[in-house]
Amino acid sequence: MTDPQSGLDPHLLPDIDQVIHTPTRLMVLVYLYVVESVDYVFLRRMTGLTWGSLATHINKLEEAGYIAVDKGYRGKKPHTIIRMTEQGRNAFKEYKDTMQELLSGLPD
Amino acid sequence: MSERLDLKNAERKVFRATFDDGLWDIIIAGLAMEFAVAPLLSPALGDFWSSVIFVPFLGLLFLAIWLTRKYVVKARTGVVKFGKQRIKRLKKFTLVMVVINVLALILGIIVAFYFHALSGQMIAIIFGLILLTGFSLAAYFLDYPRLYVYGFLLGIAPYLGEWLYSNHGASHHGFPITFGFISGVIFLAGLITFMRFLRNSSIAADTAAKGL
Repeated sequence: MTDPQSGLDPHLLPDIDQVIHTPTRLMVLVYLYVVESVDYVFLRRMTGLTWGSLATHINKLEEAGYIAVDKGYRGKKPHTIIRMTEQGRNAFKEYKDTMQELLSGLPD
Repeated sequence: MSERLDLKNAERKVFRATFDDGLWDIIIAGLAMEFAVAPLLSPALGDFWSSVIFVPFLGLLFLAIWLTRKYVVKARTGVVKFGKQRIKRLKKFTLVMVVINVLALILGIIVAFYFHALSGQMIAIIFGLILLTGFSLAAYFLDYPRLYVYGFLLGIAPYLGEWLYSNHGASHHGFPITFGFISGVIFLAGLITFMRFLRNSSIAADTAAKGL
């Protein structure tokens, strides 16, 4: 039921995925959602995050099962590839739908 | 995070980030330069060899660009595999470019057969339209607005050259002047973009140290 004053549906609030609902992680997921896979360098360049910050958020997302991190080598150099898992894609879609549903009720 | 998070824009930004390094501009400038220099070599080498002589030059240019992209650009941009939609769009782009080139070839053969029946300005317009169409389609499919400008510049070059030839007696139908100038402009734009790219993207040398 929508709150007549705010236009928000309070029942939807607990459904918001807190792993995704952080500006930095949301930004990381947006970039991962639109591609097949990226490496750390590319993701860092797109997001503008520091190595440390990016690594922290990547770990959180990996723990949640939303992304897969494949550590390998390119020649003799370490090379890490990151991609969104199917679970991550579904969670992102669900998050998007929930937020749209939640905010669509707001008055202009 | 000041930018609006929009999936379509994010995808476009990812795609542009992979090739907006100015190197494609330099290749286009090299190709345009052929139209400027080939007419100058034509009296000495003939029409065929004056064009063929550019093949090794363009080969060297492509090699230099490939090596720069591999050792300089990729270390800075990182690696990305595009999503299905972008790959589909790129395939469509390749198909359209093949069709355009085949049509241009057929048109070129027809023009060659009726060369004496067509005025210089008509040939210039046909040539310009082919360039304009090709570049505009490339700009559309690649989401790369700068190509519209290049298409326009290269599209008017033959007509402008013909005008210089008719009204001011410029040699070789004005091609060395118009294509030479436009090639220089495109090269400069590419060089500035490349320098800016190098300045803005620090080399990710510390990735190895961090094991990333």
